[in-house]
Amino acid sequence: MIQNKFFSLPMMFVLSLFATTILVSSACNRDDDDNNPNEEELITSVILTFTTPGGTSTSFSFKDTDGDGGANPVVQDITLAAATNYTLAVKFLDESNAADVEDITVEVAEENAEHLVCFSVEGGVPQPTVDDTDDNGKPLGLQNRLTTTTSGTGKLTVSLKHQPNKGAATPCSTGDTDVEATFNVAIN
Amino acid sequence: MQLREFMLAALMLLQTFAASKGFTQTCTLQLNGQILESHSRQPLSFATISIKEINKGAIADEKGRFSIEGLCPGNYTVVCSMVGCEHAEHEVRVEQSLIRDFYLEATAVELGRVEVVEKAIAPASTQPQQALQGASLESGKALGLGEALKRLPGITTLNTGHSISKPTIQGLNGNRIVILNNGVRLEAQQWGDEHAPEIDPFIASKVSVIKGAAGVRYGADAIGGVILVEPEPLREKPGIGGQVAVAAFSNGRTGLVSAAIEGALGGKLPLSARLQGTFKRGGNVQSPDYFQRNTGLEELNYSWALGLKKEKFSTALYFSIFSTELGILRDAHIGNLTDLELAIERGRPLSDGAFTYELGRPKQNVLHELFKWQFSVETGEKSKLQIEAARQFNRRQEFDAHRPFGNLPDELTRPQFEFEITTYTLDLNWEHRWLPNTRGSIGAQGLHQRNTTDFGALIPDYSAQNGGVYWIERWRKYPSPWEIEAGVRYDAKRLSISTQGTDTIGQDLQFSNASGTAGVIYHLAEATLRFNAGTAWRAPHPNELYSDGVHHGAAAYELGDPNLRPERALNFSLSTNWTRPKKFDATLSLYHNRISDFIYLEPQSVPKLTIRGAFPAFHYRQTDATLTGFDWTAQVFLLPQLTLESQGAVLRVWNRNAGDYLIFMPADRFTHGFKYTFGPTADEAGERPFLRLAMTNVLRQTRAPQGDLAPPPPGYTRFDAEAGMTLQWGKKTMEIGFSVFNLFNAHYRDYLNRFRYFTDEVGRNMLLRAKLIF
Repeated sequence: MIQNKFFSLPMMFVLSLFATTILVSSACNRDDDDNNPNEEELITSVILTFTTPGGTSTSFSFKDTDGDGGANPVVQDITLAAATNYTLAVKFLDESNAADVEDITVEVAEENAEHLVCFSVEGGVPQPTVDDTDDNGKPLGLQNRLTTTTSGTGKLTVSLKHQPNKGAATPCSTGDTDVEATFNVAIN
Repeated sequence: MQLREFMLAALMLLQTFAASKGFTQTCTLQLNGQILESHSRQPLSFATISIKEINKGAIADEKGRFSIEGLCPGNYTVVCSMVGCEHAEHEVRVEQSLIRDFYLEATAVELGRVEVVEKAIAPASTQPQQALQGASLESGKALGLGEALKRLPGITTLNTGHSISKPTIQGLNGNRIVILNNGVRLEAQQWGDEHAPEIDPFIASKVSVIKGAAGVRYGADAIGGVILVEPEPLREKPGIGGQVAVAAFSNGRTGLVSAAIEGALGGKLPLSARLQGTFKRGGNVQSPDYFQRNTGLEELNYSWALGLKKEKFSTALYFSIFSTELGILRDAHIGNLTDLELAIERGRPLSDGAFTYELGRPKQNVLHELFKWQFSVETGEKSKLQIEAARQFNRRQEFDAHRPFGNLPDELTRPQFEFEITTYTLDLNWEHRWLPNTRGSIGAQGLHQRNTTDFGALIPDYSAQNGGVYWIERWRKYPSPWEIEAGVRYDAKRLSISTQGTDTIGQDLQFSNASGTAGVIYHLAEATLRFNAGTAWRAPHPNELYSDGVHHGAAAYELGDPNLRPERALNFSLSTNWTRPKKFDATLSLYHNRISDFIYLEPQSVPKLTIRGAFPAFHYRQTDATLTGFDWTAQVFLLPQLTLESQGAVLRVWNRNAGDYLIFMPADRFTHGFKYTFGPTADEAGERPFLRLAMTNVLRQTRAPQGDLAPPPPGYTRFDAEAGMTLQWGKKTMEIGFSVFNLFNAHYRDYLNRFRYFTDEVGRNMLLRAKLIF
């Protein structure tokens, strides 16, 4: 009777589960404590470099080195000369750790089909034209041209779009925005 | 025959509505079962079982089998005895016809006392309590816990797309409600609006909700209420059994299979065990006009349980893992306010999408693990001590559409956010019957918790310790119509905030407070009236204290306030259940919840400038809020086979300090429908074949504060249909159900879906499900 019970189906099931219990409970998930929460790279700075045909470069930056919260971003006002053909290079940096500045532009250039730099202007600022293309021959926007005519003031907004629909009528209103930095511009 | 005393108790089956003492001959429920001796498993021939209130009873046959017919739903005092014996009284709750075997143990004492080794029945709450049962629970399980609970009046969900549903009780959710998963309070990242409870609904044989502040019994922070997810008790009858459930949805081509197998040994080693698992996979869901891109999901859950039950004590081990990978609607993932405004202007996803099971960024990966040990022992004839110790581990990873910048290969698969929280809890509960006609519990609860934020410094790392003690007593003397309950509780909480990202905070916060509850139930012939006044309080959560950053999903900059005080709720509820057999069954609850120092996000006039552009700014503030409302559910039995079903919920919320409404409060909603039941009306166990058609009306939320980016969407009407039947052959039962949700493929958006800016709700969805019990 006892013998019979011992080898019964429920007995085998219960006992095998009991064995599994001991195995599984020793394999509980644990906090793996990566402990480097801010290692993730962010874009903290946008640098616009304007170069004249003569090779003179001037750079202006929009920096928010402490990330989204905390202190407000520091923005330099752009001053340009009238009636000049500038090339406009856009650079994105991670300066959250001053000792280890990362150039995110490299990654944007690598994933060029996934990204698009867009410009919008207000007031007397001329619209930049995109000069470079991605691997599919579509605009990218890291290298651009901006031709000033008369003097005036206004605003220039640079945005970096992720996964835009570059085939859309207005690709700059698609995708999600990684950067949107607005500069005051004076053309003298 | 020798004198025998039977101690009997029965587990409540599908709960609830109230105790109705209006017994008439027209009631149709049955209590069937067998009385067995728990050691030998031999039937106890010719034992008698009777129900005190109605003088109904039965004598078990030679094989110990009995059947009592003609019961109304309600609470009964069951008396079990054998010829010439003293009898003992026990409460049994009958909600539908039930089959129950009673295991009685003959001890070797002279009088041959027989005792039952069952868990005592928790008395009915003096607060409104409702449960999901039958076909509603079964088809709800396939939808998920939140969506299933929505079928109860007064319960809504705060959604993030179609797959993330946070249950909301009378307007409150997240950290303001307590979810008990198999007796253990779920500890995860409840603070996030897009963090759904990590529970496999298929573990549950019963899901019920207690509405209103229930701090004393379930933990101080149960300001809005409690959700109880309870598995079937472990099998005691020797042998092996189980069940397999399968379900398939047309929309998203979601399929799921859930199976459980259980076994019990009899004799000297009364061990029971269960192994259970669920797998679910779905692809992109479809709104009437387009597919929602990247909305698939995959879920794999399993659990096991082992129990040992002796006459004086029982012990059990339980382990469960819930793991899910959830796609987030690609079009809802926006980078900044401009993107959000463009999306709102567009009013629909960029492209029509296509069906795929493939799941990409943005997504969430969530793992929740629970390990629990439970022990309960009879401490004398009229008391019982229960000990429950549990460890929970939760890992939540959130992946943005954009993989993190950086060139190391491991960064390609890194999440933007990773939170890990480990929680240890210890609960002691001592049930007792010290005085005649009273029963009560004294208990203590302890919690230790550690949270680390491994990626994305949205909330700080912290550890927390809670301790609480409570005492509740309940009085009722039959046949007095009054039943009275009162309880007190005291809790202390310590919160040590260490670091947030690279910033060291090092704040040590301590909170302590008392809570109380007092309630009465008045039993009438056909109705029950309940009144309860309860308090609860909640310490501010670290996200409310230390948030400092942009919440990208919502395009909002949120700033915490380290000086927040705990919030306190005082809740009054008055509810009534009125049942007239074959005529109607109705429950109405009225409530008024005053919450002082209610923590909420206040819109700021100056936006926050970041490198992604300017974001609307919100600061955590405190106010005094009131939530007043009522909800009802009613069944009117128009014809023997035709039932009119009605339920609804109305809620008014006021931010008293700001003189404004509060955001994300459910709009008034009403559901009406008919249920047609086939087959004889005579007594029958199980659910008869039925057909149900229901219409849900949700009004526009006109009481919303300024500061939302788009006004609340218009109200909508949605139709759902459902049919089900049960087949039986031998000992096997097969339940089959077919449901159509959003029958007419209506276009609509719900105010409480955070993705209402981006997409219509899911279109028509058909569900075919089957469950085999063997």
